[in-house]
Amino acid sequence: MKKLFGRNEFYVALIIVLLAAFIQAKSGLFFAVNNIVDLFRAITVNAIYALCAMFAFVSTGADVSFPMIAGMSTYIVFKLGVETGLPAFVLVIIALVIGALCGCVNGFFIVKFHFNSLIVTLSTSSICYGIAFGALKGVRINVPDPFMPFANWNILKVTSEQTGLGASLHGAFVVMLLMYLCAYIVLNHTMIGRAIYAIGGDEVSARRAGFKVDAIRFSVFVANGIASAIGGLCYACMCRNCSPMEYYGGEMIVIAAIVLGGVRLTGGHGTLLGCFLGTFLLGMVSNSLTMIGVSVYYQNVFLGIIIILGASIAAIQAARSMKTVSASDKEAANS
Amino acid sequence: MPDYILNCKGICKSFGGVHALRNVDLRVQRGEVHCLAGENGCGKSTIIKAISGFQPQDSGTIEFNGVTYKSLSPVLSIDLGIQVIYQDLSVFPNLTVQENLAINTVLSHKTKIYNHRQQREIAKKVMETLNLNLDLDVRVEQLPVASKQLIAIARALYAKANFLILDEPTTALTRKEVDRLFELIRGLKEKGMTVLFVSHKLDEMYEISDSITIMRSGEAVYTGEMKTLSEDDFTRYMTGHDIAFDTNKNPEGRIRKDVPPALEVSDLSGPGFRHVSFSVQPGEILGITGQLGSGRSELCNTLFGITKSEGGKISRDGKETSIHSVNDAIQNGIALVPEDRLTEGLFLPVSIMENITLVNYKDFTHSGILSQSAQESNSSEWVKEIHVKTDDHLLPVQTLSGGNQQKVVLAKWLSTKPKVLILNGPTVGVDIGAKYDIYQHLRDLASSGMAVIVASDDLAEVVRLCDRSIVMRSGVMSSEIPGEELTAENLTKAIM
Repeated sequence: MKKLFGRNEFYVALIIVLLAAFIQAKSGLFFAVNNIVDLFRAITVNAIYALCAMFAFVSTGADVSFPMIAGMSTYIVFKLGVETGLPAFVLVIIALVIGALCGCVNGFFIVKFHFNSLIVTLSTSSICYGIAFGALKGVRINVPDPFMPFANWNILKVTSEQTGLGASLHGAFVVMLLMYLCAYIVLNHTMIGRAIYAIGGDEVSARRAGFKVDAIRFSVFVANGIASAIGGLCYACMCRNCSPMEYYGGEMIVIAAIVLGGVRLTGGHGTLLGCFLGTFLLGMVSNSLTMIGVSVYYQNVFLGIIIILGASIAAIQAARSMKTVSASDKEAANS
Repeated sequence: MPDYILNCKGICKSFGGVHALRNVDLRVQRGEVHCLAGENGCGKSTIIKAISGFQPQDSGTIEFNGVTYKSLSPVLSIDLGIQVIYQDLSVFPNLTVQENLAINTVLSHKTKIYNHRQQREIAKKVMETLNLNLDLDVRVEQLPVASKQLIAIARALYAKANFLILDEPTTALTRKEVDRLFELIRGLKEKGMTVLFVSHKLDEMYEISDSITIMRSGEAVYTGEMKTLSEDDFTRYMTGHDIAFDTNKNPEGRIRKDVPPALEVSDLSGPGFRHVSFSVQPGEILGITGQLGSGRSELCNTLFGITKSEGGKISRDGKETSIHSVNDAIQNGIALVPEDRLTEGLFLPVSIMENITLVNYKDFTHSGILSQSAQESNSSEWVKEIHVKTDDHLLPVQTLSGGNQQKVVLAKWLSTKPKVLILNGPTVGVDIGAKYDIYQHLRDLASSGMAVIVASDDLAEVVRLCDRSIVMRSGVMSSEIPGEELTAENLTKAIM
């Protein structure tokens, strides 16, 4: 029980429940099937990005390049698809390779020269933006034919009896779930996963223990690049078109979400559940607040309040654990 | 012919043209506790890195168990049974006790899959090596230092160590924990373990070591049995010159008994201590000693207004006064040199000058504008006055050695011209040479009429320096020991 209260995830879940109950009471529409399905649809891509952000923070530090890696790689393969009509699987592989290459660039500078990951990923992000707009014109492109089956793949279609409104859950949701499953297995059942936590906890100790710190950090950023590309493709297929501008600036809300979910900016701490719940909560705020008549602009105020709230929970917990340390130190001294 | 388990011959290592190690020989006999001593920056950690394979030497050979190696790698070194317990312990604060205990073993299995249940069994077996009983699911960041150290040692033992290197293991431990650690080391020695004990605390070396190697400026200057090394010789080998420190404290010449006490405290209570009463005369050096957590540091903080007093009286020069803030304390002519100079006393990236003049900015301003030249002349005076070893007082403080950093903190507070100077752990992490320098200064300051209060858990320091000492235990003042009875034995009895 004590453990439950000590976890960020618990508080985020609590806020989600309270907010849901509040919206339901005010509007009576929150638990309408179409709203729930819509909500899951809306958070799908951010949940994928959240994985990138979390892996980066736990092992190394900030990664802010995932939206633009996603934007650029998707834009390139959409353009290729429209112009050449290559089969879908070839296009997907090209997108993943582009993502992986961007990740390699990130990883190379971070590992080789020990540059701060925030600065490095900020630069790659900027470069990707420049390429998408400057070299490739950056206009809106419709889904190329090879991707049409995926773009049209809805796993669930519902209509609310209450409102008569319909909603559908896109197949990208399955992709997201599969990625979380992979991440779960890697983090909790492989040595690489334990290494990611260990490195984030204490890099020097990890080196001494014999972890291949550099290789693991490099792989994290490559994997992040690949995951970003997948996220980008999912987003574009859900929207049925791709405009790199829409990806721009997507990192902030994702980082806010994972911090809310208990990922520590100093590294070593963070869980998949926390990531998902954080993303869900922020998705709820931007998706469902309109139901109780909160204007789009005030949603940002709410967003800010919730993020501060989340951060203070984390801070209080950190202070509490410090207290137990000094208390046990004293006990040891007196015993 | 002695049986050497480790025999390093002619080890050299340089970093960018600077020789960190010059032709160092280090020989350790099987089954002994060998002490490696030396001041900060003498090359102790560099040779340990060579032995552990983390930073191979440029030239020279390492012979281990009769086999000669040109250089060792971390993996090879561990395979040979060499284990290092680093000062920072190399534990993962964000992981559980279980993972910390088992991670090295699991890694050495070279499996890719992580198996929670298997790891738990390993962790239990690791705990058995030291008969530990820790909660396996607690995060290590929530444990006290001594427990973290036990985890590190248990981990090393389970990895089939036969040669254990302990790098300054006692720094963050209380006296009781040190005793427990030494008991542990003796037990390991009986089972045939060889221990290389890195330290710069003399009393600990005599207590635990069979033989010693002393390093200075990258060279091994003395190797021999611990028993035959006298304290004076030790100091000479450590510093390279004889240090004349007058053991005669000459209190009669210093202490002014004809005036009211510079500071008198009666029945003072505060966070972490209760009902403390003492007084200190101008010219006197008073010790406050007690173990970590005894309320010693808390008392200092309250006297300096960092924490609020919760009852009791404070008098300065016979007049009652109240201290509610650091500013009050400074107004009253009280200065505190804090325990942890790195976090509480200094701005490391900032220049020596700025650090010295910081608390007196007002003295160097004319109608609100800070005068650079006034600051400079004041700071250079202090640098000369207390022998800070530097070419330029505009360099950042972090370029100085520990002892010289401590002198800068001292200068900073002396520049406020205090009447009562409180020092908490004045020589923690300070080389023995700089230590005596600081002692001499404190004695000079006392001679000039200042009342000096030294809070310290280094008993040798209290005996050497103080005219009288009060002893704190679990937040209360348990006894007062007058000058003639101030010996290490009496203090040890009193603090336990």
